[in-house]
Amino acid sequence: MRIGLSWDVGDGRSPVDAWKAILDEIEVAAGYGFDSAWMTEERGNPASCSAPASFLTAVAARSRSLQLRMAGRTVNRHHFVRLAEEVAVLDLFSRGRAGVSFAAASRTGVAPGHVHEAIDFVRAAWSTDEFRFRGDYIRFPRHTPDSAPAGASEPDAPGAYVPQWEWGPDMPDFLSITPKPYAVNPPVYVEIDDDETLAWAAARGVSPFVRADVPTETAVERLRRYRSLAARAGVPRSATEPVLERRVVVDGATGPTTLGGTPEALINTIRGLRAQTGMSHLVWRRSTAETGEAKALYRFASQVQPLLQA
Amino acid sequence: MEFFTGGGALWKARGMPAALADGYEGYVAAARLAEELGFDGFGAPEHHFMYDSFIPLPLQALAAAAAVTSRVKLKTGAMLQPLYDPIEAAEYAAVLDVVSSGRAILGLGMGYRPYEFDGFGYDKKSRGERLAEAIRVIELATSNDTFSFEGKHYQYRDVSLSPRSVQRPIPIWYLGGTSIQAAQRAGREGFPYWLANSSFERTQRMVAEYRKAAFEAGWPEERMQIAAQKDICIGETLAEAEERRLQILDNFYDEHILGYGYLVDDRGRHVYGATREHPVYQQFVSSIYCGTLEMVVEELKRYEALGMTAVSIGGDPHFIAEKILPEFRRGPVAAAPAAQGVSQ
Repeated sequence: MRIGLSWDVGDGRSPVDAWKAILDEIEVAAGYGFDSAWMTEERGNPASCSAPASFLTAVAARSRSLQLRMAGRTVNRHHFVRLAEEVAVLDLFSRGRAGVSFAAASRTGVAPGHVHEAIDFVRAAWSTDEFRFRGDYIRFPRHTPDSAPAGASEPDAPGAYVPQWEWGPDMPDFLSITPKPYAVNPPVYVEIDDDETLAWAAARGVSPFVRADVPTETAVERLRRYRSLAARAGVPRSATEPVLERRVVVDGATGPTTLGGTPEALINTIRGLRAQTGMSHLVWRRSTAETGEAKALYRFASQVQPLLQA
Repeated sequence: MEFFTGGGALWKARGMPAALADGYEGYVAAARLAEELGFDGFGAPEHHFMYDSFIPLPLQALAAAAAVTSRVKLKTGAMLQPLYDPIEAAEYAAVLDVVSSGRAILGLGMGYRPYEFDGFGYDKKSRGERLAEAIRVIELATSNDTFSFEGKHYQYRDVSLSPRSVQRPIPIWYLGGTSIQAAQRAGREGFPYWLANSSFERTQRMVAEYRKAAFEAGWPEERMQIAAQKDICIGETLAEAEERRLQILDNFYDEHILGYGYLVDDRGRHVYGATREHPVYQQFVSSIYCGTLEMVVEELKRYEALGMTAVSIGGDPHFIAEKILPEFRRGPVAAAPAAQGVSQ
């Protein structure tokens, strides 16, 4: 099982101070053998990070081992072309360590179909050269006709090769989004708060993500349902990476969204959750107020993480 | 006069095969080197859907540069603002500003390639108006805790930017290409103006038009700043420098300049597929200055005398740092600030 970290940044510190604390903790966590760092797209306080790809690109230059994941990426605040491009650029700067988790439609005020289209679009952008896309929410390029096949489509035949610089003012019917990521298929996750998205993701093999503020009981129910639907759709277990984000308190109390207890108790709790849900990635949601408390990270890394598998 | 540069390879140059990820790594190393050598700023450009995988997100590339530097300013050039919603652009810029502890500079251009606008689904005809409005929006967004804006193209009510930028506001330069119309627009709107490659004589004319338009619009003199991109080719002899220019044109510039509609004729029309004999292409060629070291220094001094506060140049950074920068330094390079910020 992989273990990662993510952060709440609303403790009143300045953006520079809050982000520096996170960066420092990331370096410590990388040294302790944590597997991933997740930066969540958020707004609402002065230190929130609305463009996590840029933050993680800075992290990439300072760490060599951590997987770098955007969480809660919305589909209606930044352009869909840019969503594809920014993952590819992060993947190149980090040599294949980038991934993205998309926010649930219901908490970002969009239709579930919009999120599904965005995921289909970015995957097409990474895996094909010239393509076009016709959806209810996304049309690429703009002049793609209504008669084009739904979703992503490629030219039937390549046609005569015309170098790009000789296109002139004519609009090509198919465009290639570049650069391509370093990895063939950067990991894509989606929050499964919405039933429609849960079923869609399970059928498509898009990995599920459950946020820290979803009660553990609900998280278990939704991940179990996802696993069942994915199996029914014939999606192999190896094709997805279910992610559960939780608050963790070593030697603290368990709560509705918090995993607490001694290291031994935490080992049993996490192993139990894995057995119930099939999750393969646990993300420890931290507060920036907790950063600097490396002792808890060390205890988890030394007394919990190595003992999660028998 | 400040010196900005770039480096690495954020695309796969034709005829120079290399791994793109190695180029990205080289870009980060070049940023570190630029700071060590005493350059004042480091940049990143933007294009989309390019066969050579050209970098599409300059603010993201600069975030990588921010992580390994602590002093150099980090400037986009050109960032194609009409392909962004202004708040979207302001968010990316604010993230860079925080990551770099307040070193972000936006160099914003209009863009010109038709398929880029078609790919993003934005109107190309209104790009000039939208760029001007966007600059106002980004200034407001990075100056105020909450702001509203009512424009022809963009409207916002009670918006707060996350994160809050360190610089209030983030500096913005209008990158206006080489047209007189752009110089006049920059002056009329009161924007700091970063010129693209032009001969000195044309630069003089554009600066005059810029200042005249700004004066007539009533903008205070202290707001009006000028800077320039200046490609230079240095040789032991003029002939050797001109040979270098031919190589640069052949390996990189020709396709970008002759195709895509970059060149604009005197009537403001984009020229596609120009021949090398076309006057506007020849005008571009002459904008790449060729000379010996002494001639280049003299040429750059003329730009300084014109009132340029900064110039962005390419070339061997070690050579420039050793031979050119000292000619323009009146004091020691500012020391790196104490490690207070996010970046190292």
